[in-house]
Amino acid sequence: MHASRHTLIALAIASVAVVTSGCTGSSPSTDPVATTVAPTEKVTITFWHGWSQPSEVKAIADNIAAFQKLHPNITVKTVPNVADDKILQGIRGGNGPDVVSSFTTDNVGMFCNGALMDLNPWLAKSGVDKNSVFLKPMVEYTQYQGKQCTLPLLGDAYGMYYNKAMFAAAGISAPPRTWSEFKADAVKLTKQSGASYSQLGFMPTFHGYENAIAHWVSQSGPTYFSADGKANIDKDPAFADFLTMQKDLVDSLGGFARLEKYRNGFGEEFSPQNAFEAGKVAMQIDGEWRTVSIRDDGVKLDWATAPLPVPDDQAASYGRGYVSGTVVGIPANSKHAAAAWEFVKYLTTDTTALVTFANAIHNVPSTHAAMSSPDLDKDAQFATFLQIAQNEQSNTTPASPNGGQYQTILQDFTYKWESGQAKDLTSGLADVDQQIDKANAQAKG
Amino acid sequence: MADLTESLALTARPRTTGAVKSDQWRRRIGVLEWVGLHAVGLGLAIVFVLPFVFLLLTSVMSSDQALTTDLWPRTWHWENYAQVFRTEGFVTWWKNSLMYAGLGTALTIVSSTPVAYALAKMRFTGRNAALMLVISMMMLPPQVVIVPMYLLWAKQFHLTGTLWPIIIPLAFGDAYSIFLLRQFLLTIPREYIDAAKVDGCGEWRTLLSVVVPMIKPALVAVALFQFFYCWNDYFGPQIYASENPAAWTLSYGLQSFKGAHHVNWNLTMAATLLVMAPVIVIFLLAQRAFIRGVTLTGVKG
Amino acid sequence: MSATTFGRGATPATARAAAWTPRQPGRRRRQNLAALGLIWPWLIGFGIFFVYPLVSTVWFSFTHYDQINPPTWVGLRNWRYVFGLHAFWQSLGNTAWLVVVMVSLRVVSGLGLGLLVVRVKRGAGLLRTVFYLPYLAPPVAATIAFAFLLNPGTGPVNTLLSKVGIQGPDWFNDPAWAKPALTLLAVWGVGDLMVIFVASLLDVPAEQYEAAELDGAGPLQRFRYITIPHLRPVLTFAAITGVIATLQYYTQAVVVAQVASGRADQPGAPFDAGYPNGSTLTLPQLVYSMGFQHFETGSACVISVVLFVIAMAFTSVLLRRGAGFIAAED
Repeated sequence: MHASRHTLIALAIASVAVVTSGCTGSSPSTDPVATTVAPTEKVTITFWHGWSQPSEVKAIADNIAAFQKLHPNITVKTVPNVADDKILQGIRGGNGPDVVSSFTTDNVGMFCNGALMDLNPWLAKSGVDKNSVFLKPMVEYTQYQGKQCTLPLLGDAYGMYYNKAMFAAAGISAPPRTWSEFKADAVKLTKQSGASYSQLGFMPTFHGYENAIAHWVSQSGPTYFSADGKANIDKDPAFADFLTMQKDLVDSLGGFARLEKYRNGFGEEFSPQNAFEAGKVAMQIDGEWRTVSIRDDGVKLDWATAPLPVPDDQAASYGRGYVSGTVVGIPANSKHAAAAWEFVKYLTTDTTALVTFANAIHNVPSTHAAMSSPDLDKDAQFATFLQIAQNEQSNTTPASPNGGQYQTILQDFTYKWESGQAKDLTSGLADVDQQIDKANAQAKG
Repeated sequence: MADLTESLALTARPRTTGAVKSDQWRRRIGVLEWVGLHAVGLGLAIVFVLPFVFLLLTSVMSSDQALTTDLWPRTWHWENYAQVFRTEGFVTWWKNSLMYAGLGTALTIVSSTPVAYALAKMRFTGRNAALMLVISMMMLPPQVVIVPMYLLWAKQFHLTGTLWPIIIPLAFGDAYSIFLLRQFLLTIPREYIDAAKVDGCGEWRTLLSVVVPMIKPALVAVALFQFFYCWNDYFGPQIYASENPAAWTLSYGLQSFKGAHHVNWNLTMAATLLVMAPVIVIFLLAQRAFIRGVTLTGVKG
Repeated sequence: MSATTFGRGATPATARAAAWTPRQPGRRRRQNLAALGLIWPWLIGFGIFFVYPLVSTVWFSFTHYDQINPPTWVGLRNWRYVFGLHAFWQSLGNTAWLVVVMVSLRVVSGLGLGLLVVRVKRGAGLLRTVFYLPYLAPPVAATIAFAFLLNPGTGPVNTLLSKVGIQGPDWFNDPAWAKPALTLLAVWGVGDLMVIFVASLLDVPAEQYEAAELDGAGPLQRFRYITIPHLRPVLTFAAITGVIATLQYYTQAVVVAQVASGRADQPGAPFDAGYPNGSTLTLPQLVYSMGFQHFETGSACVISVVLFVIAMAFTSVLLRRGAGFIAAED
């Protein structure tokens, strides 16, 4: 107790110094770009990641073990199960790791605001041409305003899962390719019973698992922001068109209240009780991971995958989809940047590492080389997603300075829209734009 | 305060005797009232206990059954509890919770008692102002100062990722405990303290050898409150320790446990009960000190 | 010693302050030094953990600070921004809803249970324990438990309701029912108030009831004219501390939104704060998400200042109304 009193007095004095000196942020360190570590130099780096399932934790541990075999002088200490905001908080607090990974691309804009290093000089020094190495949408979502502060480490692609038995019973031979086919099929596949359903073609409401506007609107290649950085949601018809289609679908399938009632009886998304796996819906929007879940959950289901349908007037673009993924980067205040770069380079560009990891956790590889590797698991249903990821017209949500607040604002509006609370689409989307511009201006300072 | 159960028995009597002059009609009403009261009491007691019962029943179901609407386990899986303990981190969270609650409570008692004593029994300039400040601190939502506090601990002391930012401040006195102890100290007659003074004791000697033995029950109550506060705290560990799973407490870890075992309601319920268990056991053991503490001031939000 | 220590028979603080104005300056200095010897650690803590962060919160509210690059002065911009935010008004509305509904229901049910425990003759001690226990359940655990119990699809509550032919609401998954469901959770944990009321009810002199009964007062009249006046200070205290606790309402709202939305299942998935549709978003949550998710320190601090002002307004009411219980003995 007495000893700790003394340290506390020291703390108190230190804090008085803080009060008098005012509050200063720590400035990013300026490490010279030394891309290699001398093999004699022993270095320990810390790596924070968000994987928490035992199989995933094991896969990343195997990956690290392989890296350490190549670089015996670098020891990688990992902290699993770190959520995104904790990563950002840790880096900002100055007690962060040397390498971080994040499951969402939403935060890349914030990462680029001094939190993570710009990796462009490191790529150049190591002779990596990012545009030819990585898939196009993935290069895009890992940078912000010209700063490549993260690199892609595997990715996710969104497509459609459909129940073949239900399709056959309804006399539908192939998955829908356009929105009008999609609506017709969804109606045909829906069987109402009493106040509920015995089978639903598709769950169109926006709390339904992965059914978010950001995932859908990629089917018409949206422009969220105009060239001058202003929100463009009420000007690009992609958004209004999709929302009109969605509302029409909600109404044709029995209305919002009835659908929500049905949805609240759905099981957990990542469980055998998932509505698609349980046979409650005939079609579902989902990521490539579902192919594995269905197999692992051992449900009896006659199913297949396809790209999501596209607007009728863009039928030629069928095959595209929403792409996202895990990103890795090096905090600006890392004290072992060179070793960290070795590790990041290995994780993101080493073909064997990527293929092994992709096969282990069933994500889409992020480099062209890994995509064409013969060792990659090319199960037919999984291959749908590999193709969506490689499609030239696939796209993603752009980075923003504030962790994707524009998506939250848009999403909030879609909840009001589908429930009928917001009736005027034009003024609603204009208001969304206004809020987004305000939030972005606020974040830029 | 006398033991509550005793006083319950005491006050029950006058009201029965109050009905002495009642005729038969009134007696019948009395019986009806008795039956009605006890029926309502029993009914409400069942409602209050049911949540615990459902938790327990679900915690011993199989994973598959826990996802159904079944209320009663088909087979009893007590091994779920063992599995929770084997979950990575669970034992660490226990240790961290014990450390936070144990150390936090000890520091609180040691640092708050002298302040409470000064506020209750000593005369000094600004005493009332100091009391007002204690009450203001007690009422202040922690979120009001959290941003600068976090930045202070992160950027100046580099202690984020540990539980120290929520333990160390307790060494400087906890407003709520100070207030509670002061309320109790007010009931101690001055004569005891004056007598100690006459014997030549300084303030510290008086405090340690005369006052502390007299306020033991209040110290126990305050210690229990502080222990539970730390044990239950979610906001503090979330802000300061969430970036480091090795520093998580049970209250914080339970949330991630739910995330990692999203489909295993049985395991989640078992873990939930295991987090509740220590609090409930301690309460049942120290019930009397507790109730005394709650009624001490009529506070504790 | 009981709950009614405050509010009764205490002299106003000001009167007493005058009473001991010291006549000997030397003695006064000695007393001040002695007190300082006991309270100096608290004074230091007060400076570091109260004054400093409070002052910087106000200062930060006028700056733009992303917690990486140094803060810059932006005047009233953050204030204008926050007051134009939908989320701000929504969370202010939610907090107000909780303050009004949750606090009053807690006080009423705490009083009801207290009356019951006092009047029941058999098993009063057991009842008291049963009603008190849920209050002790750690908030995270209790909230996860309620999210399970009130799960619209498979939860026991709706299962039981459907057995008697009632279709239960969607509770935490319906914007209209999420706050009532949280209120249910708060009422389950009403044991603290119940115990306070029991203690205070036992303090009512039995003769008063007997006298009133002899005068022909019915039970309702006795409650209205004897019990309530006697309880008034406790009721006021319970209401005001309840309001202040509700202004801090955080853990339950955060946990329930994560569990009910199922969004926490996938690490990295954006957290749907206030799920469903912002109906459980409270001011403290907004401070957290502004400060530690969007890293808009300035805006977070604006909300903190608003929260501070509201909390202090209620505290000052308490200080004035409760002058009796705060008053020192000497």
